[in-house]
Amino acid sequence: MSIDDDAPLDPTDEPTIDGQTVERLSDYLDSGRTPRDPDIEGSAACRLYLRSLEQVHDLSRASLEEAARREPDRDGAWIDGLLASIKREVVGGRDIPIHHPDASVRLSVTEAAARGLVRRTGDAQAGVVLGSTTFDGDLATAGAPVAVRVTAAARYGLDLEALADELRARIVDTLTRHTGLTISHVDVHIDDVFVAREDDR
Amino acid sequence: MLEDDPLLEAADATLAVRARDGDVHSYEVLARRHGPLMRVYAARLLGSDAESDDVVQDAFLTAWRRLVDLDEPARVRNWLMRIVSNKAIDRLRVRRDHDDVDSWDPPAPQHDGPERVVEARLQLDAMWAALDKLPLDQRRCWLLRETADYSYAEIAEALDLPVSTVRGKIARARAFLITEMEAWR
Repeated sequence: MSIDDDAPLDPTDEPTIDGQTVERLSDYLDSGRTPRDPDIEGSAACRLYLRSLEQVHDLSRASLEEAARREPDRDGAWIDGLLASIKREVVGGRDIPIHHPDASVRLSVTEAAARGLVRRTGDAQAGVVLGSTTFDGDLATAGAPVAVRVTAAARYGLDLEALADELRARIVDTLTRHTGLTISHVDVHIDDVFVAREDDR
Repeated sequence: MLEDDPLLEAADATLAVRARDGDVHSYEVLARRHGPLMRVYAARLLGSDAESDDVVQDAFLTAWRRLVDLDEPARVRNWLMRIVSNKAIDRLRVRRDHDDVDSWDPPAPQHDGPERVVEARLQLDAMWAALDKLPLDQRRCWLLRETADYSYAEIAEALDLPVSTVRGKIARARAFLITEMEAWR
C-alpha cells in the first residue's frame, strides 16, 4: 500500500508536464480535447502524456474484456439462476379476450403473449429481426380496433418498403388468426440495418 | 442457445427493446454478451472473486425489473455497468457496516513477476497485472471513473470519501499505471 493514501493530493506536489498539471491534462482528455487548448496541443510533452493517458484508459477496459473472454464457462451458473428468477416474474399485461362459439367459454391471451406472437412472426421473415411491439387501443373489448406499432432491424440490401409491407401483412394475419384482435393498421419502423453474418453488433 | 440464433447478431438496442417487451430470450442474449465483462469488473471492484457472480446476477435481475427506465436502448451496456457498480458498492457498504474496515483488507494480490508479463508479451496482461497491483481503493476509484464513467462526485458519494481524496487516489492510480505501462509504448 502506498503511504499516506488517504491524504488529498497537495496541489504543490502535483507533477506538471510543460507547465500543465496532470489533472488538467486528464480533464482535457475527458472533454474530448475540446475546446482545443493551444498550450497543450502545442507541447510535444503534453501530447505524449495525453497518449499515455489514452492508452491506460483504453487498456483498463480492454484488459477486463480479455479476462472475461478467457473464462466464459464461469458464466453458466449465474445466468441460469438469473433466467429462473426472471421467468417467475414475467408480467402478462392486459388480457385480450378471444371469441369462442360457446358463449360460456371465456378465453383470453395476455398482451405479453400477443407481443411474443408478433416477435416470432417478424423473426420468421427472412432479413428481419423484430424490435419492440406496442398495442394502441382497447384490448379488453373484443372487436375494438387496435393499432400495432413495431420497430425492426432489416438486413442490408433488402427493399425496405417491400419488407415492411410483407411484415405488416404477416402481423395482421397472425394476430387475426390467433387473438381475434381487430387490427386497424400496423406501423412498421425500421430503425436498424444489419449486415448478414457479421459478428459486429 | 442455438448457434444460428439470429438474435446472437442483433444489436444491443434491438435486444434491449425486446427485453423491455418481456422477451426473456433477448435478455438472455444480452446477459451472455455482457455478463462476463460485468463479472470480471465486479470482481475487480470488490477485490475478490467470491461475490462477483452474486453481484452480477443481482444486478441483471434489478436491470430486468427496471428496463422501462432505460431511455437509450443502444447504451444498455453502460446502463448495466452502472447497475453492477451500484450493486458492488452496496456490498462494500454492508462490509463497512458489519466488519472492522481494516480487518477486511484483502490478501496481498499475487503479483505476476515482470518476467512472466514480458514473456507473455501481451499488453493486456501487463495492464491486468498493473491493475492488480493497485491498492484496492485506488483501483475502485480508477475503475469507476474509467470503465463506468462515474464523475468524481459520484465516486465520492458511492465510496463515502471526500471528493479531494477521490481525486488524489485517481491521480496516484493514473501515475502508477502510466509508469507500469511505459514499456509498452
